[in-house]
Amino acid sequence: MLKWRDRSPQQWQEFVNQEVCVTAHDQQSFEGRVFTVDPVSASVVLVSFPETKRPSVKVILGHAVTDVQILGSGTKESESRMKSLFLPDRTQVLSA
Amino acid sequence: SPRFLALCPTTLSSSSSSGAVDEEEQRLRSDLRERFLRTLLLMTDKQVEFNMHEKVRVRARFGASDIDVLNFQVSGLETPLGVQKEALLRCQDVISCSFEL
Repeated sequence: MLKWRDRSPQQWQEFVNQEVCVTAHDQQSFEGRVFTVDPVSASVVLVSFPETKRPSVKVILGHAVTDVQILGSGTKESESRMKSLFLPDRTQVLSA
Repeated sequence: SPRFLALCPTTLSSSSSSGAVDEEEQRLRSDLRERFLRTLLLMTDKQVEFNMHEKVRVRARFGASDIDVLNFQVSGLETPLGVQKEALLRCQDVISCSFEL
């Protein structure tokens, strides 16, 4: 499998809206739902919605990512819930 | 730079040389990038926790990133030696950063 940084936008796109576990340097791991993967730096943006706390956003820098495992797939609802965090109300919806 | 590599991929396979595929890839790329830029916008002026190598954790107010994501500009960086009013963090030294909404 290609290194994370060297993958194509199509391959990154497949992770968007999926529940994943990202493994990084120093054996650290991060769980959350993928909002995007920056095509320039290969950084992964994860969102999580803890039940009792405020939503949190984590950015894992592309150079540190060693592996990404899919834990579960997303739904239309999870996608629109994520988008509502990032997009101001008046902006048009991002294309599918 | 990473940006140059992203914009001028050297790994495009010869089978994907048709215009339609390139266009589709470019569309995906711009969607992903727009989302990332919106993340940076959302992060601006928030207290962000930076998780660095050797399990060092520092907090600071996020200001901006350069386009190649090589440096982050932050304010009020809380280091073990005191608070640094303005600082640049090298992204190579950062593993992850997180903030709450």
